[in-house]
Amino acid sequence: MACTHDHSCEDHDCSSNWSLYKHIDLSKVTALNEANPGSVKSVFKAWEERLNSSGEHLESNEGDPELLVYIPFTSDVKIKSISVVGGADGTSPSKLRVFINRDGIDFSDAQSMQPVQEWDLVENLQGVLEYQTRYSKFQSVANITLHFPESFGGDTTQIHYIGFKGEATQLKRDVATIVYEITPNPSDHKTRAETGGGLSHVE
Amino acid sequence: MVLEATMICIDNSEWMRNGDYAPSRFQAQADAVNLICGAKTQSNPENTVGVLTMAGKGVRVLVTPTSDLGKILACMHGLEIGGEMNLAAGIQVAQLALKHRQNKKQQQRIIVFAGSPVMHDKKALEMIGKKLKKNSVALDIVNFGEDDEGKTEKLEALLAAVNNNDTSHIVHVPAGPTALSDVLISTPIFTGDGEGGSGFAASAAAAAAGGVSGFEFGVDPNLDPELALALRVSMEEERARQEAAAKQAAEEASKEEKGGEEQDATMTERASEGASEADNKKIEIADDDDTSLQQALAMSMDEPTSSQGLQDTEMSDAAAEDPELALALQLSVQDSTKDSSSQADVSKLLADQSFVSSILASLPGVDPNDPSVKEVLASMQNQSEPQQKQDEDKAPKKEEEK
Repeated sequence: MACTHDHSCEDHDCSSNWSLYKHIDLSKVTALNEANPGSVKSVFKAWEERLNSSGEHLESNEGDPELLVYIPFTSDVKIKSISVVGGADGTSPSKLRVFINRDGIDFSDAQSMQPVQEWDLVENLQGVLEYQTRYSKFQSVANITLHFPESFGGDTTQIHYIGFKGEATQLKRDVATIVYEITPNPSDHKTRAETGGGLSHVE
Repeated sequence: MVLEATMICIDNSEWMRNGDYAPSRFQAQADAVNLICGAKTQSNPENTVGVLTMAGKGVRVLVTPTSDLGKILACMHGLEIGGEMNLAAGIQVAQLALKHRQNKKQQQRIIVFAGSPVMHDKKALEMIGKKLKKNSVALDIVNFGEDDEGKTEKLEALLAAVNNNDTSHIVHVPAGPTALSDVLISTPIFTGDGEGGSGFAASAAAAAAGGVSGFEFGVDPNLDPELALALRVSMEEERARQEAAAKQAAEEASKEEKGGEEQDATMTERASEGASEADNKKIEIADDDDTSLQQALAMSMDEPTSSQGLQDTEMSDAAAEDPELALALQLSVQDSTKDSSSQADVSKLLADQSFVSSILASLPGVDPNDPSVKEVLASMQNQSEPQQKQDEDKAPKKEEEK
């Protein structure tokens, strides 16, 4: 389950695996109980930047380490594994519970509902650990909600990076534009044989 | 224009019978509620507002968040005063009502009218505040009516616990001649979080402040939005037209001297670029309609002056500000008076080839190295030719003016 990277990652191009962050709809990402509104967007970045916490990171309010992060994707994705980099001094989250394809979850819902999957996390300051999912349940994820109920004893919970490994399916859950024909007109639907295409002529 | 779902918590306890806010505390509160509902639904049509009462038999939700203003106003009728206000329960029920709003994209906000004394202790209120903040619910508190010791302090503590980035506010309204709703209009509760007042709030504020003339054009944008818009647009158009006219006059003034050569130069350019048949036609016209052509020329030369005359007033204003412009104006006025002889002057200037080539070089789209232009320049050396060229040139100009 763990993929320890004490080599330089060049042989199996790790960063391309963790590229699902490109399919996240960043403008619609929200978090509950974050100390700085909007700071949640800073935790989605490329694999190489995962330890680069010079910018902002996500921190919960003082004295309350619970965090809830809602992440919509621009198209349905399949998630193979998740990686979370927390903060030092006990501010890493200790548990993770995820919910799929539900919007508007708040803390009371999250605490009472049964998650799709939950993990006990360890302190992962180097970002080398990943938590595999039960792939069959994560086949068409339009949005995912991560609930971090507690931390390792710290007053707050800090998260520096959240990464998703998997693939995007290009399927979207948008309104479809469908054209109906009451009486189909054959001239609108020429086949290749009729237009004479696809064959080469030798004179 | 933030998308918001709001729950208003009304205090209908016994303390609201008091008349220190005209006509009675309860009535003043009802007016304020009506105004808030109107402002919220106007600032964004998808906003929803709900109302609940905190006193009486218990906390009761009168209407769940809806954008239907009529429904909200209707439910305010027939409310009875009695009982004691339960602030904590009221806020919690409001939070629950917001949680089940239909459009999850709306931001959540609670507006509390705290008129009677607050029974809860500070700790309990702070816990409630923290829970609201955790679920990103904003809270606005209107502190009016009773003012026993500790109430203000408790409410301030509640606000501090809820406040996240200045989205929550508290307003203290003392008893006095101004109505509760008027005081509220100027507060951030009405005007939103620093967006600048919605049109509703701004116009209502103006009306409250000092009569109808508070509006920009003496017309209430709410009463007659089309008229107000038309007035504003025409004002802007007038301003733009004046600016353009002043600018054009200044340009014409400075270009008056250069204008003669410039026109001729562009005319010569076009003449040389034109087809040979066009040239023939021009020559024909020049031969046939010489006298009428001269008249047309005189008129066209006069045109700049006439247009200047019309705009004299604006130009004098503009000139007062700009000494350079004044100088240019003077020159142009002098020029127009001796326009009849300007042709001779122009031709003399044209003869000065260096001057002409420098002018041509500065004109956009004219390449002094272009062979046709060089040809023209060479031909302009002779004294008789310039005159003929000018006639030919003004012929195409006349054609264009036709």
